[in-house]
Formats: sequence, C-alpha cells, structure tokens
Amino acid sequence: MTDIIHMENLSKQYPQGNGQIDALRGINITLPEQSFVALLGPSGSGKSTLLNICGLIDKATQGALYFCGKNISHASDKTLTTLRRRQLGFIFQGFNLVPVMSVYNNIEYPLILSGMPTKLRQQQVNAMLDTVGLTRFKKHLPDQVSGGQKQRVAIARALITQPKLVIADEPTANLDTQTATEIINLMHHMHQDLGTAFIIATHDERMSSRCNTTYQLHDGVLQ
Amino acid sequence: MKWLLLAVKNVCRNRRRAFVTLLITAVGVAAILIGGGFANFTYVSLKEMAARSTGHLIAAHPLYFDKEENVPMEYGLSNYTSLAKKLKTDKDIRYVIPNVEFTGLISNGEKSTIFMGSGIDPKYEFKVKGPFLNIVDGTLLSKREKPSEPKVMLGKTLAKSLNAGINDSLTLLSTTVEGGLNAIDVTVQGIFDTGIPELDKRSIMVNINTAQALLTTDKISRLAIHLRDTDATFLKYDALTRQYSDLAWQTWLDSAYFYVGVKNLYNRIFGLLGFIIMMMVFFSIYNTVNMSVVERTREIGTLRAMGTYASEITRNFVLEGMVISVVGAGIGVVIAALTSLGLSIADIQMPPPPGRTSAYPLSIDIPANLYAATAAVAAAVCIIAAWLSSHKAAKKPIVGALSHV
Repeated sequence: MTDIIHMENLSKQYPQGNGQIDALRGINITLPEQSFVALLGPSGSGKSTLLNICGLIDKATQGALYFCGKNISHASDKTLTTLRRRQLGFIFQGFNLVPVMSVYNNIEYPLILSGMPTKLRQQQVNAMLDTVGLTRFKKHLPDQVSGGQKQRVAIARALITQPKLVIADEPTANLDTQTATEIINLMHHMHQDLGTAFIIATHDERMSSRCNTTYQLHDGVLQ
Repeated sequence: MKWLLLAVKNVCRNRRRAFVTLLITAVGVAAILIGGGFANFTYVSLKEMAARSTGHLIAAHPLYFDKEENVPMEYGLSNYTSLAKKLKTDKDIRYVIPNVEFTGLISNGEKSTIFMGSGIDPKYEFKVKGPFLNIVDGTLLSKREKPSEPKVMLGKTLAKSLNAGINDSLTLLSTTVEGGLNAIDVTVQGIFDTGIPELDKRSIMVNINTAQALLTTDKISRLAIHLRDTDATFLKYDALTRQYSDLAWQTWLDSAYFYVGVKNLYNRIFGLLGFIIMMMVFFSIYNTVNMSVVERTREIGTLRAMGTYASEITRNFVLEGMVISVVGAGIGVVIAALTSLGLSIADIQMPPPPGRTSAYPLSIDIPANLYAATAAVAAAVCIIAAWLSSHKAAKKPIVGALSHV
C-alpha cells in the first residue's frame, strides 16, 4: 500500500516584521491510504498550515513532501493544481460553496474540471446526491439550504471525484451539535464506504474519537 | 456552454452594478455608432457631391493639370468626340461629359463683374448634378437651345449683384483662344444655388456650344467620366491611365479639398471621442470586474484549491467581461439603429457648415463594417479590462485567498 502523504523533516516559516515565525518545525508524518486522521491542537499551533501543505495549497520552507511516492517539494503550480484536481478533496469550515451554482452544480463542478462526459457526470452526481440525502434539494442554491445541508454538499463535492485524500478544516465548527454529529457520521461512513483517506483539523472531540490516528500539534511541533 | 452560463450567473450576482456597466457599454457603443454614422453620412455625401461636380475621373490634355494656360484652351482637348464615344463603350462608365472652363466679364449694361463659367452638356450635366444643384428660379439649360438665342444660368449672388432676373439679357465678354476679345449676348434661363457663397458670387453655366463660340474654339477643357460605382474609381483610374497614357488623368479626390478637409477634421474629432468613450467603457468594466474579483477572492481560493487552474479562473472572468460587452454592444447597436431610423423620419436640419449657405439633413449612415468594428473594439476592450483585473487575483496564493474576509 502506497503512502498518500509522507513528510520528512518539514518546516514552514512565515515572515513577520524583520524576522520570521516558525509555523511548523521538523514535521515527520506519513498518511497511508484509507487513513482517517485527526489533527488536534490549540489555535496557532500550526494545524491549518500543516493541512494546507497536505492539501498542496501551500509549500513548506524546508524538508521534503512526497505525494503518492513522488517528491513534490519543488513541483510547479500547474502540477500541484493537477494533483489537487485529480487526487484531493476539500471540506472547509465555512462550506465555501459557489453561491450562484445550485447544489447539483456545486457537486458537479469537480467532474466538469476533470472533463467527464455529461451523461456519466449526471449519473455520478445523482448517485452522490442520493448518498448524502440531498436529492430533494438539488436545484436549490446554497443560500436556500441549512448549514448542515451545505456541509453535506461540501462533503459530496469533495468526494465526487473519488480522491485519494480529503482535507477537512474544522468541518463541524459552524454547526450545531446534532448537525455536527450527522456530519461526523456521514464523513466516517463515506470513509468506510469509499476507502478515501481523511485528514481533519478539529477541536471537536467527537470527531477525533472516530479517527484511527490523531496527531497533536503544539507551537508547530508534533507532540 | 456551462462556462458561459456560469459567467451569465456571475454577471447577474450584483444586478444593479451589472445594469450600470451594461448601460455604460451600451451608451458608449451607441455614441460611437451614431457619431461614426454621422461622419460616414457626411463623407458619403461630400464624396458624391465632389464626384458629381468633377466626374469620378477627369481626362485632359497632358499639361492641363500642371501648367497655367497663357491663352484659353491652350491645353484644351481637341477631337474629343471619338475619345468620348470610345470611353462610353466601357460598361463601368455611365456618362462621359465634356466641359469648357472659361472666365471673363459679365455685364448688364450698367454694371460688369468677373465670372467663372462652365460650358456644359445640359443633357447629362444636370442628371449627374441631381440633388446637388438647387435651382432657385427659372429652369435648367436645354440641349435644344437655338444657337442664335444663347442662354445662361447664374449663381444666385451673381444674379443679385447684377440685378438680373429670368429672361433678362446680359453680355459675356471673354478672351478668345487667339488672345482677342469676344462678346456674346445671353438670356437668363435660371438661377442656381450651390450652397457655397464664393461660387454663387461668380458662377455661370452656359451650353457648351455657347462657350466654344465665345472662345472661338472647338476644343474642350476636359472630359468628366462618371462611373456607375464611385468605389470603382481607383481601379478604373489605373486601367484608364494605362490604356490612355497620352492623356492626363485625375480622380475626383484630387480636387475634393473640402471633402479631404472635412474628413481629416471629423476623423480626428470622432476618433478622439471614440477613444475617450472606449476608455470610459474600459474603466467601467475594469472597475466592475475588479470589485467582483475582490468580493469573490475567497471563492477564487476555493476553486483554485479544488484544482481549477489560474488560467481557467481568468477565463471565467474574461467570459463575464464578454457577456457584458456582447449584451451592452447589442443594446448599443439597437439604440443606434433606432436613432438612425428616428432621425430619418424626423428630418432634422443641421446648420450650414463654415463656408456654406445651405443647411443639410442630420442623418446617420452606419455601414455594416462600422457596426462590426465597434462591436469588436467594445468586446476587445471588455476582454482586456476583465483580463487585467482578474489575472493577478487568479494567481494570488490560495491560502491568502481562502482567508480573505
């Protein structure tokens, strides 16, 4: 089984004033396929930075990053974009749905990017809508559905291309307790059904308790 | 199609802003089309007037255009009838009209003044002049005029100066081709208005036979060749100069000083106005897309995170610019077409231009290529504005874009 993500002595510094701040220091993590990982730590501990690097939307300052066995530490923006398109899904705390697209179109968008033929696309989106229980709302705009339903759309959008890894940044932070539980269950269910790996930054203990592995970050260092 | 639909939806996000931008684009395109259409109408009218005045092409003695004559008709064309007959066989040529230019004194017995005369062939001359010759009083000259009773047509200011009316008798005095003086009595047949005060003060027209009798010659000054299509002038000029290289040739443009002057002036005025209007459209679109880009920074970050290339993000914004330009230009074209139609019905007269006495209709003649060029420029301006305002944002670091508030 190939590791999806492998980090070797990875560090990230941000410039701050005349000096710089260490967001991550000497991180060594390996995420095997089908893992369900929680990233824990207080605010400012470097969770989001680590998540961004795993999601290939940020680059480390030092160290090596391997994605599916390939060193992509110095890959071009185009290469990283292509990898994100094909291999990664994102779930954001604020849902980040496109407001002018319907629920259906939001889920369909990654498949359009992948160039999938229309008919196949329709089949897959409808199946996904069914899975996340949103068939009834497929023509609704994001503004016309509840927070929990929005996050379901975001989960469906992240999983529609059957990525190897889903990056989830505080996916339950904006939801009430009951809806958060539903979302946690849905993500766990999708992980088990599809075998997709998840890495989730969270403060929610119910979420972390469902994960196979938890990493604790403190001041940019793995504990 | 999906991208275009998405662009339309994005344009409609902020309806009021989209409406104002569309309105600016539409008004800008309409203003350029109306201005350009008015300039084009003026060019076409002046071109027609110039071509009908001199002929599309002018054939003359090899030295006629370059040297001053010491005596009348020194560089005149003799035996022109065979040349005219030969030219008339050309299917592109409508009329070949001989013309005698002469000067002298005109007198009513009490007062004499200088005139500039044209000996014309009434059968064709008035056909080609058409609407560009305004008869104020009397009638046109006739081909069937008796040689013993020569007639004259006077410019309206000259007639007023000589206190001459229809059927009044006047005397023309001119230098003959031998250098002597000759006089001929003529009767006033008509009074015309060219719309140019300087010409109306001096111009007279007589039958070509009368002019030749006064100058004691059978020569003519030049042959005016009227084509069926003005646009064929320069092709025909090339062909005829090769075919009749023993003659001197000119096109109507060589002596259309007013046309050239007006065209140069209008091109600068309307060109500058068009540029300013397009800059306004540019900044309007730039501002609209820029605001949209700022408002959608987080969305751009999300789409980039999902694997949308920066070029695809830019393309989407460019498509939005195109949607605005196409709809705006479409509305602008309709406004311009309706304005053109309205003006043709309203028959509004423009005041006489400098150096002229007659008003002219305010008309708009928008050629198809002006519609196409304006729409293309508007589209290009919108695309460039959209590209400039979005390509930088599309390349913004994704993490920064996602945390944009």
